[in-house]
Amino acid sequence: MKLNPLTIRKIRRFKSIKRGYFSFLLFVMMLTVSLFAELLVNNRALVVHYEGHYYFPTYGHMLPGTTFGLAYDYETNYRELSARFERENKGNRVWLPPVPYNPYETDLKTDAYPPFAPSIAEKHYLGTDAVGRDILARLVYGFRIAIAFSLLLLVTNYTIGVSIGSAMGFWGGKFDLIFQRIIEIWSNVPFLYVIIIISSIVVPSFLMLVLIMAIFGWISITWTMRTVTYKERSREYVLAARALGASNFRIIFKHIIPNTIAIIVTFAPFSVSGGIVALTSLDYLGFGLPPPTPSWGELLRQGWTNLDAWWISGSVIAAMVITLMIVTFIGEAVREAFDPKLHTTYE
Amino acid sequence: MNKKSPSEPLLSVEHLKMHFPVLGGIFRHQVGKVYAVDDVSLTISRGETVGLVGESGCGKTTVGRSILQLYQPTAGRVTFEGKDLTRLSRKEMRDLRRDMQMIFQDPFESLNSRHTIGNIVEEPFVIHGIGTADERQQKVKELLRRVGLSARARTRFPHEFSGGQRQRVGIARALALNPKLIICDEPVSALDVSIQSQILNLLLDLQQEMGLAYLFIAHDLAVVKHISDRIAVMYLGKIMEYADADTLYAHPAHPYTSALISAIPVPDPTCRRKAEILSGDVPSPIHPPSGCVFHTRCPYAVDQCKETIPELAAVAGGAGDNHQVACIRTGELRL
Ligand SMILES: Nc1ncnc2c1ncn2[C@@H]1O[C@H](COP(=O)(O)OP(=O)(O)OP(=O)(O)O)[C@@H](O)[C@H]1O
Ligand SMILES: [Mg+2]
Repeated sequence: MKLNPLTIRKIRRFKSIKRGYFSFLLFVMMLTVSLFAELLVNNRALVVHYEGHYYFPTYGHMLPGTTFGLAYDYETNYRELSARFERENKGNRVWLPPVPYNPYETDLKTDAYPPFAPSIAEKHYLGTDAVGRDILARLVYGFRIAIAFSLLLLVTNYTIGVSIGSAMGFWGGKFDLIFQRIIEIWSNVPFLYVIIIISSIVVPSFLMLVLIMAIFGWISITWTMRTVTYKERSREYVLAARALGASNFRIIFKHIIPNTIAIIVTFAPFSVSGGIVALTSLDYLGFGLPPPTPSWGELLRQGWTNLDAWWISGSVIAAMVITLMIVTFIGEAVREAFDPKLHTTYE
Repeated sequence: MNKKSPSEPLLSVEHLKMHFPVLGGIFRHQVGKVYAVDDVSLTISRGETVGLVGESGCGKTTVGRSILQLYQPTAGRVTFEGKDLTRLSRKEMRDLRRDMQMIFQDPFESLNSRHTIGNIVEEPFVIHGIGTADERQQKVKELLRRVGLSARARTRFPHEFSGGQRQRVGIARALALNPKLIICDEPVSALDVSIQSQILNLLLDLQQEMGLAYLFIAHDLAVVKHISDRIAVMYLGKIMEYADADTLYAHPAHPYTSALISAIPVPDPTCRRKAEILSGDVPSPIHPPSGCVFHTRCPYAVDQCKETIPELAAVAGGAGDNHQVACIRTGELRL
């Protein structure tokens, strides 16, 4: 596989758009961090050194308290274990992640009610929410879920959209006409209501929510693919392939789709930000993923009902704004670098 | 299947019509037709070059593409080596495509910009499952060399080449499967004048070598003059005159042909010819004129021309079937 020099030029142009490129690097970093979030934000220790043995509890089965000479056989509380080892000072040691909380656990106090304000001493860097869960942990894991949701939605929408759209544009005729009408009717269905209705009947799982969103999300990419394919299919390079006896399959997959990649790529970042916003709004309304799934929308709602706990709404709004801004900057730069209209091959 | 007689033409086109629907209205229904090709007949023998000449928009490209079944013709028959192409199964047509190829008008458009030159020239072999990967590479090298490109071109992409070089790639691709007929759709009109003759010479050499037949499409007579055995003059979807190249020049029988001839620039300024400048614009193929389609611009038109559609028929006293013209006033006119 040799990369087309035109593609290389596009990538180079994308890199030259500093704002977009740095946003892209930042986004990749955020993705990586969220992918390995267990190592950074977790109530399980990274490493435990106990009586000459090393334990790595992060991944794998839970280690009961008895492993480390504690009196209980439910999962070890590593924060307490760490404090205990320090007190005993027998050479045992616990290395905790920078944020030693997981997004589900409630860190309660005997003398006060949550939400607790940010505190570096307690390692609740962004405070806790109204039930005492660490906000940073919820943000990080919520981000991971939102991104996974958006990417999965993107893949689903693209699979449906690219296949139906290119088929419509390529074959035209009755097939095209029928789908045009279906799309027209479909796009007039108020999809938020439908989702709300479905979600109020059944509590949607992650995959189900992706599917429900995809039922309405395939339309725009289908429409775009239809138009582009329709244009491409009567171009001379396609006629040349046909004159050689190329099958429709070959023409679509070897000729037309590679020529529409630019459009597909240009759409992707905006589709991702759309997915994040959609999931957040559904969660905010309470029709998204079931609690206690970490979710920005749910945090936003908490922030709204606990306005005096400014750190809740403050941190989730900041996280939203930063993420959407980054994705939008990437999208803008991609569009600028890949826009076929800007780019002519005529010399 | 009838036996091939030696005189049987390689390709014969009979009463070919290609009407494109004009869609309009909210329901995208058909509101009219583009009479792009309206009753065209011609034959091409083995190894022969037939020129097809006409102004822009008269339907030349459409004739070429309908012959290759890239468009489904509205009516008429296209027979290649005795086989009616409009009736072949998909598989039969696919096999037959090895024998007839096309060189396109626009070398910037006809190569897929995402494929390397190597991929483009190799594609015919891949499609028809010919040879192993190594053998195909060997053939690609040979073909590139044959059209005057270096083997290094294989790993490069179309936009790295000039128009003339790209057209050579298009020629290599058309040659790959050893066709018997190549439809050359204005292969040089998009190129610099200095490059045009190089490409034309290449095409002539290849014809000599491989015994190719060409349908050579051009928009003026100057280009086809030297290379065609026979020339068909086309106007608004119809053939106006069809004759041996020499006959057509020496004794044009149609006013339109004679106008095209007088439009050829004459190198010798002392040799003055009466210039027959065509007046007016080409009418729209959506509403072609009644009777003879040329009557709106013909200096010799009479009332009768608006009513009678002239048939393409042998010129009386001409070279028999080899000189056909579609004009009701043939014989009366001194062109
Ligand atoms: N696919 C199509 N759909 C509708 N109309 C078409 C189509 N292809 C060609 N036409 C119309 O048919 C007529 C003939 O077009 P064609 O391209 O065959 O002309 P041409 O002689 O090759 O012209 P040029 O010298 O500009 O290449 C034109 O009026 C054109 O607009
Ligand atoms: Mg043309």
